[in-house]
This record gives sequence, C-alpha cells and structure tokens, in this order.
Amino acid sequence: MKTMAMTKTYNRRIVLDLPELELPEGQITAVIGANGSGKSTFAKILGGIDRPDAPHPVLPEISAGYLPQKSFPFRMSVEKNILSNGHDRSRAAELMTALGLGNLAAQSAKKLSGGETARMALARLLMKQYELLILDEPTAAMDMESTLLSENLISHYCQETGCAVLLITHSIQQARRLARQVLFLQQGKLIEQGDTDTVLSKPARAETKQFLEFYGI
Amino acid sequence: MGSSVQKAIELILSADPELLNILSVTARVCLTSSVFALLIGVPLGILLGAERFPGRKVLLVLNRTLTGMPPVVCGLLFYMLFSGVGPFRHLHLLFTVKLMIIAQVVLITPIVIGLMETFVADTSPVLRETARGLGFSRAKEYGLLMNECLYSVFSAYLLAFARAIAEVGAVSMVGGAIAWKTNVMTTAIMMYTNRGSFTLGIALGLILLTLSLLVNIILSVMQGRLSR
Amino acid sequence: MKKIVSLILALVMVFALAACGQSAAPKAAETPAPAADAAPAEEAAPAEETAPAEEADAMVVDTCILKEADDAMINNYSLLAVNPEAPFVDADGNAVEDVAVNTVGAAALINWLLSEEGQNLAANFGFEEYGEYLFYLKDERPISTAEIPAATEETKKIRLSTTTSVNDSGLLGFLLPIFEEKYGYDVEVYSAGTGKSIANAKMGNADLILVHSKKQEEAFIEEGFSCVIDGMDTERLNWMYNYFVLCGPSADPAGVKDAADVKAAFKAIADGKYTFISRGDGSGTHTKELSLWPEDLGITAEAESFKDYTEWYISANTGMGACLVMAEEMGAYILTDKATFLTFVANDGVMG
Repeated sequence: MKTMAMTKTYNRRIVLDLPELELPEGQITAVIGANGSGKSTFAKILGGIDRPDAPHPVLPEISAGYLPQKSFPFRMSVEKNILSNGHDRSRAAELMTALGLGNLAAQSAKKLSGGETARMALARLLMKQYELLILDEPTAAMDMESTLLSENLISHYCQETGCAVLLITHSIQQARRLARQVLFLQQGKLIEQGDTDTVLSKPARAETKQFLEFYGI
Repeated sequence: MGSSVQKAIELILSADPELLNILSVTARVCLTSSVFALLIGVPLGILLGAERFPGRKVLLVLNRTLTGMPPVVCGLLFYMLFSGVGPFRHLHLLFTVKLMIIAQVVLITPIVIGLMETFVADTSPVLRETARGLGFSRAKEYGLLMNECLYSVFSAYLLAFARAIAEVGAVSMVGGAIAWKTNVMTTAIMMYTNRGSFTLGIALGLILLTLSLLVNIILSVMQGRLSR
Repeated sequence: MKKIVSLILALVMVFALAACGQSAAPKAAETPAPAADAAPAEEAAPAEETAPAEEADAMVVDTCILKEADDAMINNYSLLAVNPEAPFVDADGNAVEDVAVNTVGAAALINWLLSEEGQNLAANFGFEEYGEYLFYLKDERPISTAEIPAATEETKKIRLSTTTSVNDSGLLGFLLPIFEEKYGYDVEVYSAGTGKSIANAKMGNADLILVHSKKQEEAFIEEGFSCVIDGMDTERLNWMYNYFVLCGPSADPAGVKDAADVKAAFKAIADGKYTFISRGDGSGTHTKELSLWPEDLGITAEAESFKDYTEWYISANTGMGACLVMAEEMGAYILTDKATFLTFVANDGVMG
C-alpha cells in the first residue's frame, strides 16, 4: 500500500514534508523520532483528522482505523464502548479477555484508569477489519504486562487480517519487537527508512545514530 | 423574620387559593419556558460548539450579549411590541401567560446555548478524533456527542429553570402582575412589598428559596449519576 | 418526565419542610432575649418600652391621623372609559388606528358600578371590618339605570387599569367577583400608580381606568383618550370619594394637629424640617401631596426640585403600604389615603 507525498504547514512553518511511502500489507511499520518530529501529525493526516496542505487524498480508497494518542471513552460501559464499533459479542469478549478487561465489562468507561482506557480503546478499534491501522503510541499509558498483551494482539490482528499497520512509538524496543520496517522522522522529514534490524543496529545516517545513542541503544 | 417564617408556614398549610394560583402560574411559566429554551438552546449550543463555520465567533459574541441582557429591557421591548399600539397588537398577547413565556424563553435560551457551547467545544474535538478514527458516520458521531451531553443538558435545564423562576423584571412588564392570571411568585413579592406586607413577601421569598435549594440538591444528586 | 417528577418532589418537600418548621416555631418563642435583639427597628417606636419580649405581633402602630376631612384633602375617584377612536400613537409617534378596546365591556362595568347595587356595595365597604366607611358617595354623582348586557365571547375580557391605592384597599377584590359572577365578565385589574396606569391606557392596554387625580384625568380627556358612554353626559364619572389624611407620630413634634388648615400643617413640617415620606412615584397621592406644600419651596415631581431638602424630604418611589411602614419606623409624617391607612392600622402595621 502506498501513501502519497504530503506536506503540512502550521503558521507558515513546515511541520511535515514526506515523500511517497510504501506500507507493506500484513506487516507492521514503526515510526520513530523525537517529540515534535511530526510523527503524530503524520498519523493524524493518515487517520483523516488533519488535512495536508495539498487537498488531494494521501491514501487510496481503503478503510483505515486510527487510534489517537488519547482515546475518548464514551459515556457507557466498557463492553458497550467496545460494541459501539461492531455487533459481534463473541469477538468483543475475546478482545476483552485478551487485554485483561474481562472483569471490567460492566464498568463505566469514564471511571477507568489511563492504562485501562488505552486497552479498552485498542479493543474497540480492533472490533472492525481495517485495511490500514494507524496506532499513535497505543501503549504509552500501559504497564509492561498490558503492553505485551497489546503488542501480541496487534501482531496477531496484523497477520490474520493481512492489513498494513503503521505504529507510532517512542519505544525503540517496541519497534524492534513488532516492526518489520522502520521510518525515522526528524523535524518533519523522513531521515531514514528500512528494515528494522538495519535501521536500529546499523543506521546509515548520522542523525539516526545520534537519536539511537541518545535513547541508550 | 421569625414571624415571617411562621406566616410562610401558615400560608402554605392553609392552601390559600391565591397562593396556589400564584404557584401554579409560576410553575406553568417556568416549566414551559425552560422546556422551550432547552428545545431551542440545546441544538444551537451543540451546533455552535461542535462545528466551525464562518460567522460562528460573531454568533457567540451575540449570544453572550443576549445572556447579559437586563430582564427589564427584554420586558420593555415586549411591552412595546405587543402593546395595544404596538406592531403585534392584533395577537392580543400583552398581559397573558403566553407572552410571559415568550419573554422568558428569549431571556434564558442564551444561557442554555452558552452552557452547551462551552461543554461541547471542550468535548467535541477529542470525541471527534476518536469517532473519526473508528470510521464512524457523522450521524453516529453526533449521537455519541448527545450521549456525552446528557448531564450538561440536565444542568442547563435546571439553571434555565432557576433563572426563570427568579426573574421579575420581564414578567412584571409583560404580565402586568394581574391577580389570578399573570401574578407569579416574584411579582407577587414585589406587589406585597409595595403594599407594605413585608411578611407575606418574605413568606413567598422563603418558598422561592426552598425551591431553589431543592433544585440545587437535585442537581448535585443527578451530577453523580449522570456523569458516569 | 423525570424533571416533572422532580419538581413535584420539590413541592412536596416544601410542604414537608413547612410542617417540620411549625413544630420548631414555639421553641423560638421560649428564648425572648435574642428575639428582642433581632428586632431593633421596631423598638425605635417610642411607645414600645413596656413589653419588648413579646413577639412582633404585639407591635402597636404609633402613626396616627393628625389632619383629615379638610376640603383640600378630598380624594375623588373617577371612572373613565377609554375611547376606541382615541389618537393612539406607537413608540415612534405614528398614529395607530385599529386599537382593540372593549367599549361594551367597559360600559357594562361602569354601569354596574354606578347602579344602585354597585354604589351601595361600595359605600358600605369596609364598615364591618374596620368600623369606618372607607369610601363615600358624592352628592351629585352619576347614577346608572342602564340594562347591563351579559358577557359575550368578544366582550368578556375587561381590562381595568387602576391605582394601587384602590386595589390595595380591597374594594375591587370585594366588588368585582360579584359583578363577574352575575354577568359572566372577566375583569383583569392592572394596578400601578396613577401616572403609570394612565400611560398603560394610552398605550391601548386598558378598556377603562379608575383613578384619583383630577389634573391627569382632565389631560387624558383633553387629549381625546376618553369617551362618553351611552346614558352619561361626561367622560369623567366622579362618583366616589374619601379623604387623604395627614399622618404622623402620635407625639406630633411639628404640631400639625393645631395648624389652621392642611396647608399650614405642611408648612409647619417644612419649617421644622420634620421627616416626611413622599410616595415620589407619580401616583394620585403624590400629585395631591405636591399641591399642598408652600409654593416658595418649589417642590415638584422632579428630583431636582427637592435636592436641597433631602435631609427631611424622603422620596420613596414605592407603594402606599411600603411608605406607611417606612413612616412608622422613622416616626415620619406622611400623606395617605384613608382606606390604606385604616387597613394598615387594622393589621397592626403589617399590610395585607
């Protein structure tokens, strides 16, 4: 799957300027980069929340699911929240179990902790079959155990449905665990792109090297 | 004050027909006007809060101005419009409960709009991000937004009702405080005070305060339930 | 639905609260000291030294009638039907022609008030309750023998614009239900000061007026707002009167009791700078009061005219009853219509 080249300008400052990108189906592509590197803007544009400068679509006609950094819990029970994105009850139960939400099903979603809300939001998103999944730091609020459960679920979903997954993450380890391909962004520009192991172990560009060293790799 | 409390209690217990009439006119005016204000104000408030369109800022400023309109000004305007020599004289609405309701609706709808707009402007962007991300239709997005607003609608209603029941300037102008017909609690208090019957005025005032207290108790009880 | 239920709940709770409050009320009476402290205003009245521990009910009205039945103090009440052809104008001064005025209804009410039945009822009003007549019939009053038509759908609603003093005396509350019952009309009483109630009629919001200010009535007729109803020979139907009375503290520091006439009494008040409460609201009582001051003081309805007298001349701008309460508390002089004053005294200084 291909995304078109895109730029995004805020207050006459270019915050994002990306070339055409290839997102392989059935695989996870991780996007890494420092805060303000344009990762979230990229995700928002793909998710249809923000508009790029040029009005033409950046994605082909496909169904895309986007998980924002902070998902909104609807004012209803956890189970109903999840069922708001599909009617398959057994699928909902399966997702809740997989994410350790089973005993929270009847709980009001507004009363969940940050980590629980993030898990519920992921389960809610995965109710439907999308051709492209854009996940903006899905595990940022979770503890280690939930993170691993979520990662497991994401890679399963990706393999089973054969959809392309774009995973925005600030965790190099997570990128290493899940992604086949890595994109490194800095100041809105794509610096390096390639096979996960290559980019993370033997980066070609000095900026990438510096970033990875800074994060203790 | 002590004797006023006693008088208030006696008045209530005696089920004085004039008092009952005042209470029923008050209830009719306030309930009807607050319901209409809600029916008009909630959709407008949600629209202003959720959508971004040219002219929105102007409408918000206009609404804030209307929120601050002194009730007597509103009353005077309606008195002039519906007076025997006014442009709408053929409707024969001056000194009727209907016109009191209309004046009240004009006064309290901006409050409802303002409350809803503030709440929706806060909630809508985050909700929209999630709903669009899930690929929901616009209709479904609005349905979910309504569902989030339930408590706000409730508190906007109670505030509108409280303002309606406490208002005196407009209803005395357009209602004329005619006994058995358009006399409400606040105008009756004015009338009794002008006559020098402070005790009766205070008695009615106590009833009004008690009602207001109850409205607030209901509000805080429902707050816990509905915000879930 | 939920909201209606909660409102009903609220009303029920008011009643419940009231019931609880009543059982608590006697307890308050057992502690007399704080109760007395709580009412310093009432203690200001000089006659109150004896029993301050009693509840406020026992308050004695100190204000009394000092000057009455003076010819200058006659208070004439007149009925005027509003002319449907009157030169009504809108807020911009443009003529308005099709103003709805219920002339038939107005004539019916006037004819009844001026009939033998209506006149007798008015003349006897208040005697049972106060031991005094509140209104007297003029010797040369118009009397109506006209047949009064029963109300129809179009003529049913009669809008009567009147003054607070008439309304507050209870006269209309006594007379109108009898009339309504008998003929099926529905009289809506709009009550305000004479000035405002006449203005209300000029805006086309009344079918007849019942007021007590000759000057303003004549101006109303002059401008063409009134008409002569069938069987009468004039617009201004002056059938009833009572007296304005000059009241003040029983000690009467200004000595108005001994003044030669009411104008001399007003002069004594002004000379001694004794506190005087003026209605100050353009009412008939206010108009009458303004005509009684010594001319060289130059007191008129304009605030500018009494700015030098503010230490003793108090323009209250409120109803008769409220002014009486004020006068009682300040030990001030006041001009009032007799009916309202008698009601005030009968209720121990608490109106209503």
